[in-house]
Amino acid sequence: MDKMNHSSAEAEAETIEPLRYLSKGEAAAIETELLRDYRFGQQQLIEIWGQACALAITKAYPLSSLGKKQPTVLVICGPDQNGSIGLVCARHLRMFEYEPTIYHPKRSPHSLHQDFTVQCEKMDIPFLSYLPTEVQLINDAYNLVIDAMLGPEADCANIKEPYSGILVTLKQVKIPIASVDVPSGWDVEEPSQEGINPEVLISLTAPKKCAMSFSGKHFLAGRFLPYDIQKKYELNLPDYPGTDCLIEL
Amino acid sequence: LPFSHLSLGKKQPTVLVICGPDQNGSIGLVCARHLRMFEYEPTIYHPKRSPHSLHQDFTVQCEKMDIPFLSYLPTEVQLINDAYNLVIDAMLGPEADCANIKEPYSGILVTLKQVKIPIASVDVPSGWDVEEPSQEGINPEVLISLTAPKKCAMSFSGKHFLAGRFLPYDIQKKYELNLPDYPGTDCLIEL
Repeated sequence: MDKMNHSSAEAEAETIEPLRYLSKGEAAAIETELLRDYRFGQQQLIEIWGQACALAITKAYPLSSLGKKQPTVLVICGPDQNGSIGLVCARHLRMFEYEPTIYHPKRSPHSLHQDFTVQCEKMDIPFLSYLPTEVQLINDAYNLVIDAMLGPEADCANIKEPYSGILVTLKQVKIPIASVDVPSGWDVEEPSQEGINPEVLISLTAPKKCAMSFSGKHFLAGRFLPYDIQKKYELNLPDYPGTDCLIEL
Repeated sequence: LPFSHLSLGKKQPTVLVICGPDQNGSIGLVCARHLRMFEYEPTIYHPKRSPHSLHQDFTVQCEKMDIPFLSYLPTEVQLINDAYNLVIDAMLGPEADCANIKEPYSGILVTLKQVKIPIASVDVPSGWDVEEPSQEGINPEVLISLTAPKKCAMSFSGKHFLAGRFLPYDIQKKYELNLPDYPGTDCLIEL
């Protein structure tokens, strides 16, 4: 499968440069610029990413394709930005008539994170108080798991409880896992040898280096990145179809 | 949506976005930014900028997308007709006092009543009372109602969209909104 943006058949005057995969530092630098120089708000970015994630889920797992009686989805949210994105994703999935359930063991005290939590609670999205260690319970109850635990800023060599325990459970589930931005437990720049194995990866804004050899369904989601940043970091993002905010790589 | 690239008559997909000082204007700024991502060429006229920091952030986001900001709006209507395919009216929203429209908005409304290119209004056509259609106001071709339509739109005869798919079910029930079913994963629907 041609992951790079080659246009071999088309007689275009310019060569299409390959899509950039970001290092941890580049991903952090871009986000800093967006907040500091471009004056995007954190809430604004998280909403854009969360909504795009939800749309990617509907593309990868349309309602009609779900095998269980109810369109149930388990969304596991970490304490930081990746978790907030998961909360927003869950809320939009609820608007799209999925039935998300959230497991959100450690809530950030950050007020923005709490706002996203309240928004989900007021949508009647259930929050689990604990995650069953009996994997079959998860397999039976949900059609898929959305992994919004650890993002590019996480230190994957130093994963604390409860996330290390959750990762053990996730490695055993039989239902598909869709990871937000970086599969939890993976290093941003290296695929993990022993980590979880998601079926779907939803890269936000630009893919990270660890995704270069990702063999599952890979989406690029979030269509808002100013052209100047795209040029500065030579991202060579593909053309999104029509007015879609996501594209399958 | 009704103005897809293919449908725009001019050489460039130019759009004039007129932004007011309050929330309706901020929505216009965000709309312009997304249109730029969709490869339209918006130009913004934003005469009075709110000092509110959120509003300023939206302005910077647009500036950093290289979206031009006009320093004045031509009163010569033909210049507008020639330069742009359509006008997006994001001047005055439901909170505005339409009986008491001050400059520069009263002047802009005079100009808008004369343009020949289509106008698309955000939430409430500027100058209309929220609950009554205006007898003498602008006549947009398209109305994009946000969240739920306002009373003044009941007899709107143009293309009417309901946009923004996020409203919690509890609020929908509480206010008996009876919103239509959005198609698929669309966040808007034509009424």
